[in-house]
Amino acid sequence: MENKSLKRVTSIWIITILVLFVASILLGIIMRFNQGTKINLAPATFYAYMTTHGLTMVGIWVVAGMAAVHYLLTRYVKVPLSINIFAMLFTVIGVVLLWAATLVGHFHAAWTFLYPLPFYTAWEAWATPVFLLGIGVLGIGWFVWAVGMLVSILKNYSLSQAFAWQHFKKDNGIETPPFILIATVSLIGVIVCLLTAVLLLILYFAEYFSKGSFTNDPLLMKNLTYFFGHTIINEALYLGLATLYELLPEISGRPRFKTTWYVALAWNCTLVFVLTAFFHHLYMDFVQPEGFQMIGQIASYLASLPSATVTAFSVVILIYNNSIKWSLANILFFIGVMGWLIGGMGAVIDATISNNFILHNTLWVPAHFHTYNAMGNVLFSLAFFWWAANEFTNTHNDRRERFKTILLLVGGFGFVLMFYIGGALSIPRRYSVYPEEFTSAAMLATAGAWFACIYLLGIVLMLIDIVKKCTRVFSSSSV
Amino acid sequence: MEKHQSLLVIFLILAGLIASIFLHIYRSSLITYGAEGMYNPTRKRYFFFLILASVAVILMSVTIPDSPYFMFADKQPSKVVFVAAKQFSFILSNQAIDPKKGGAGENIEIPVGELVEFRVSSLDVTHGFAIYDDKSNLVAQTQAMPGYINKLRWKFNTPGTYNILCLEFCGVAHAFMRASFTVK
Repeated sequence: MENKSLKRVTSIWIITILVLFVASILLGIIMRFNQGTKINLAPATFYAYMTTHGLTMVGIWVVAGMAAVHYLLTRYVKVPLSINIFAMLFTVIGVVLLWAATLVGHFHAAWTFLYPLPFYTAWEAWATPVFLLGIGVLGIGWFVWAVGMLVSILKNYSLSQAFAWQHFKKDNGIETPPFILIATVSLIGVIVCLLTAVLLLILYFAEYFSKGSFTNDPLLMKNLTYFFGHTIINEALYLGLATLYELLPEISGRPRFKTTWYVALAWNCTLVFVLTAFFHHLYMDFVQPEGFQMIGQIASYLASLPSATVTAFSVVILIYNNSIKWSLANILFFIGVMGWLIGGMGAVIDATISNNFILHNTLWVPAHFHTYNAMGNVLFSLAFFWWAANEFTNTHNDRRERFKTILLLVGGFGFVLMFYIGGALSIPRRYSVYPEEFTSAAMLATAGAWFACIYLLGIVLMLIDIVKKCTRVFSSSSV
Repeated sequence: MEKHQSLLVIFLILAGLIASIFLHIYRSSLITYGAEGMYNPTRKRYFFFLILASVAVILMSVTIPDSPYFMFADKQPSKVVFVAAKQFSFILSNQAIDPKKGGAGENIEIPVGELVEFRVSSLDVTHGFAIYDDKSNLVAQTQAMPGYINKLRWKFNTPGTYNILCLEFCGVAHAFMRASFTVK
């Protein structure tokens, strides 16, 4: 019964995420066509869409990772379903508040809501507190969910086992599955960055209610914002990787991944480095202590190195010269690793301070994060959705779905390539329209929008298949 | 080729390399259907990790000294330009700007080949202060943050008109926030 309920709740997550994903892609396409001067939005509308697009994308891929990890975690430990439903309820309320603030109240301070912009209201006065409240509601829901899952892990594994520290010894006793290790590392990261978000919101509300008698420090607020924002999106990616470690061998008909000392070391290091890499968002704030700037570059390099190397090699060993039962699910995981690595290269280039000096806040930034999200993490979650939809309905589907894959590859990489070229041409990001001296900016934007349409078509075709199956979970005869 | 474009070329080469390796791995799993466990490069894994770690260390030691914080740090600027950003314009002045009064600013001329220091702040929200040359290449930048002064030092070796654009999202007219100065 519990399993049946979990399948139903997970199906609701999957359907909701996919529908919100399509809506958010549409907002993105509208923005790129506007930048391409094919349509003409008022700047306030453009930025309200931009804020909605960014927030929704970050939110859905965090909960996608959480929902997948919750479902797979029940293979190892008992996890209360109530925390999942609680998070869903709070996510719905949070999203409604955020969308009301942006689409009704015209709040448009971007998803980063960089202090003190939310207080310079060029929108309905109520939209700022409603926006901040929406962030708070989402944070509470996800915090309870993450803590609940971590507590469930720690009921079966000691803290040192959850971190797989016993693998540093020769006689290591029980094995910590890689999934448990990566889920632990990711959930701790989620909890830490959500606690930072709480502090950030308290400071915002303190200033809001003080009516001018208390003001915050912009540099501190910026550090808190990016500690939260950078970390949450990276943890979403790591939650996706936990899913990959659990499912890729299984779907491919290969032996399960094992935790070794270097896998344990890599993911323990990743936890430390990912929590300090956010400093790279403040490279262009020269008043930030130089030691933090150095830590930013070193941590950015090192955060990607252990997890990427270990994962890439694990995937190579799994697949190279081995017979693989390819289906869309493991193809998506496979392409996702490639997209993650390619996006990671773009990120490392930008995380080099001397390069950031000429790339910061140009189109290079959306270029690299769209690569490791749209062509990386999103594909990890889509792989889980595809696998789960078949699993829930006991459907055997080993089709490779070449057409859908080609749409995603051509659309996705074409879309991000236009951003990379724009970045190399110094075209600024977050411009509703481009100054005329950037002669190729509008053309690149239009081309990017068309490529995004191709990507969207691939997503919609997948959505139809997945949603059809997920809705079957609710009929009494199935599951 | 400008550094911006060189970075794109390097990125495309690396991306192409990764894509080729993945395509090769995918193909290997089709050709040898039926074979099991033929490849387990545990030693290669350490070797590969060491190479990557060495490359990272070399790249860091080469690039970090080029960071803008250290550029011209031991030199004395021959000119100081004060910059105050506000929604949605820049005030540039040869004199210090009173944050309470703001002001209209003045035309700025910078001598070619001389070291100039921009002291950049904001009167309201966080803005970007990005200098573009006449070919629309981003030359140098820093952030304009309320309550703080970021000092950007630069030497302009090419005369001409340079544009300043805002590179931190600051509100509805962010894309229209600009100023310029002359180097001669």
